[in-house]
Amino acid sequence: MSAPLVLAVPAKGRLQENAEAFFARAGLALIKPRGARDYRGAIAGLEGVEVAYLSASEITSQLAAGAVHLGVTGEDLVRELIPDADKRVVLIEGLGFGFATVVVAVPQAWIDVRTMADIDDVATAFRHHHGRKMRVATKYINLTRDFFSAQGVIDYRIVESSGATEGAPAAGSAELIVDITTTGTTLAANGLKVVEDGVILRSQANLVAARGASWDASTRETARVILDRVAAQARARAFREVRARFAACDARLVESAKEKFGVATPFGGPTSSGMLTLHCPPEQVYALTSFLRENGAEAVAVADLGYVFSRDNPLYAKLEAGL
Amino acid sequence: MDASVTTQAKGPDARAEALVASYERAGYARVTPAILQPAEPFLDLSGEDIRKRMYLTTAPGGGEFCLRPDLTIPVSRDYLASPLAGKPAGFCYLGPVFRHRSDQTAEFLQAGIESFGRPDKAAADAEMLSLGLEATAGYGLSVPDIRTGDVALFATLVAGLELPPAWKRRLIKDFNRKTNLAQDLDRLVLGGNNARPEYQGVLAALAGSDPKGAHALVTDLLSIAGINAVGGRSVAEIAERFLEQSALGASAKLPREVRGLIERFLAIQGDPDEAAAELRALATEANMTSVLAPALDLFESRTGFLAARGIDLKRVRFSTGFGRGFDYYTGFVFELTDPARTGDPLVAGGRYDGLLARLGSTQATPAVGFAVWIERLAAYGGAS
Repeated sequence: MSAPLVLAVPAKGRLQENAEAFFARAGLALIKPRGARDYRGAIAGLEGVEVAYLSASEITSQLAAGAVHLGVTGEDLVRELIPDADKRVVLIEGLGFGFATVVVAVPQAWIDVRTMADIDDVATAFRHHHGRKMRVATKYINLTRDFFSAQGVIDYRIVESSGATEGAPAAGSAELIVDITTTGTTLAANGLKVVEDGVILRSQANLVAARGASWDASTRETARVILDRVAAQARARAFREVRARFAACDARLVESAKEKFGVATPFGGPTSSGMLTLHCPPEQVYALTSFLRENGAEAVAVADLGYVFSRDNPLYAKLEAGL
Repeated sequence: MDASVTTQAKGPDARAEALVASYERAGYARVTPAILQPAEPFLDLSGEDIRKRMYLTTAPGGGEFCLRPDLTIPVSRDYLASPLAGKPAGFCYLGPVFRHRSDQTAEFLQAGIESFGRPDKAAADAEMLSLGLEATAGYGLSVPDIRTGDVALFATLVAGLELPPAWKRRLIKDFNRKTNLAQDLDRLVLGGNNARPEYQGVLAALAGSDPKGAHALVTDLLSIAGINAVGGRSVAEIAERFLEQSALGASAKLPREVRGLIERFLAIQGDPDEAAAELRALATEANMTSVLAPALDLFESRTGFLAARGIDLKRVRFSTGFGRGFDYYTGFVFELTDPARTGDPLVAGGRYDGLLARLGSTQATPAVGFAVWIERLAAYGGAS
């Protein structure tokens, strides 16, 4: 038997729960056959997969090195830890959790600072005034350097901070920070404000593939199966199934429903008996049912979808294009 | 091992040794600074951008060290730590430096000279260019392209203009950075205004008021909010810049003739004599003769010393805009390149009078020097 496909998922915390829930929804239950403390697992009912539980930053570096095939990690870590990230990994799909924004934040008391151009000017003045460079506390050294460089800011120093970065200005160990924020409340509680054009990256957890991993025929096939289920599940979540039967249903009505509500017709137009199956975005469901009834439908049934499999596999296509 | 890192084991060739021997005969003491250097001075002087090209390591105690990415800073530091500090002294070197370069070896050789504490700046500048020319000649390239500039000229011009301090600061900074200068000029001419929309009214009101009173008001307001020093900037500093913004927003509109002056200044190029004549004419026209006189006198005196060293002035290409992008140069800058190739300099250097102070020297110490890229020169066939 050939070497298994290695899927790396976060080893603890909310990221682990979210990742497990995500795979479970796709019908891929992550199991630990040798007990909950084990850091190696499998996917129930799917041969040829080894699940590796690692920290998010370790997942990122293992992906960069090609030591795992697929992994769940934040885009912020991918961009920070992997030089030339797009050459080493493929971001296959945003997973809808682990949202975080990497931002530049300054003390609220800096009433003269609103934009990166202000920071640039303050940095230069600071060096003249204090004889040293303004300090930026962050754990995102590479993101900060690239962003500041693109903004033309040069008079600053990075102070590496591995935790509680938002406290650095108050503690006097830095003038400003680059950090992740979700709602901004932690920043505000520490007397900091986000610079207007200081959003460096909007990040979320991603399913990431390593371009440098050993992709043979069997690992590719395993990846195809996993991504097929993920895609089917993603499509299922994006739609509700709406079924109706009525005599007056014709192609023109279907066209108009597509235009108005963004519905899809997975099984084609109405059958000879007037049965129509539509896939409709959840927020349009009620409007669509009203529309159908106004046009003569007697009963309209709406149901959640488990999976929607189709012939094409867009996620796998993305992976294959990247390998 | 990372395949992108190529090391090289070849030592300097005989021509490199001969070059340094000639520098020793010219009175420059050969020094061999430590390969492993504290990282701080490089990061502080060259900026964070150099970090990704440096080979960094951490000592068990937590101090950050690097393999030296150049020799100017190590030679300067050793000089400052020696009994010679502050006195005239000249050094030469030949040895490896280390920078991550995607398509070339990470370790490569540099030779060069650093000259400290000489008060006769024009003569010292000219000597550096002359010694640099010896390097290319030693490798069989006797007529390289000679590009020169003098960043003190732009600094002096800007200092002499009637502009708010913030705009002067920005012009100098953007001159150093190679970008944005045209954009700055546009904003100035349009009555550049980067004041905050919601503070506009307050700023406009404050702009006309007594500066001391306005400063006190803003400082008080910040104090009422319970804000003292935040992140190393004092309340006074914040207030000062806040008010500076009002000055920029309300008053500053660069007269077209000033913009025209800057643009004409930056367009001046030619051999040093032609350039000097144009600069003098421009200074007279702009009524800035006395402001620019010291910088122009030094420039012309340097040209005299270049001629005295037998350098054909017709071959020296001077440009007022050359030297941009190097933060630490303060005056004369030069580069020698191969006319038959494009790109990378074979020899590059200039004056950096502010460097030693930034490395902790308590007295102002003039400094000038250059570096020779040995492998680039070694590509040439024979010695002359």
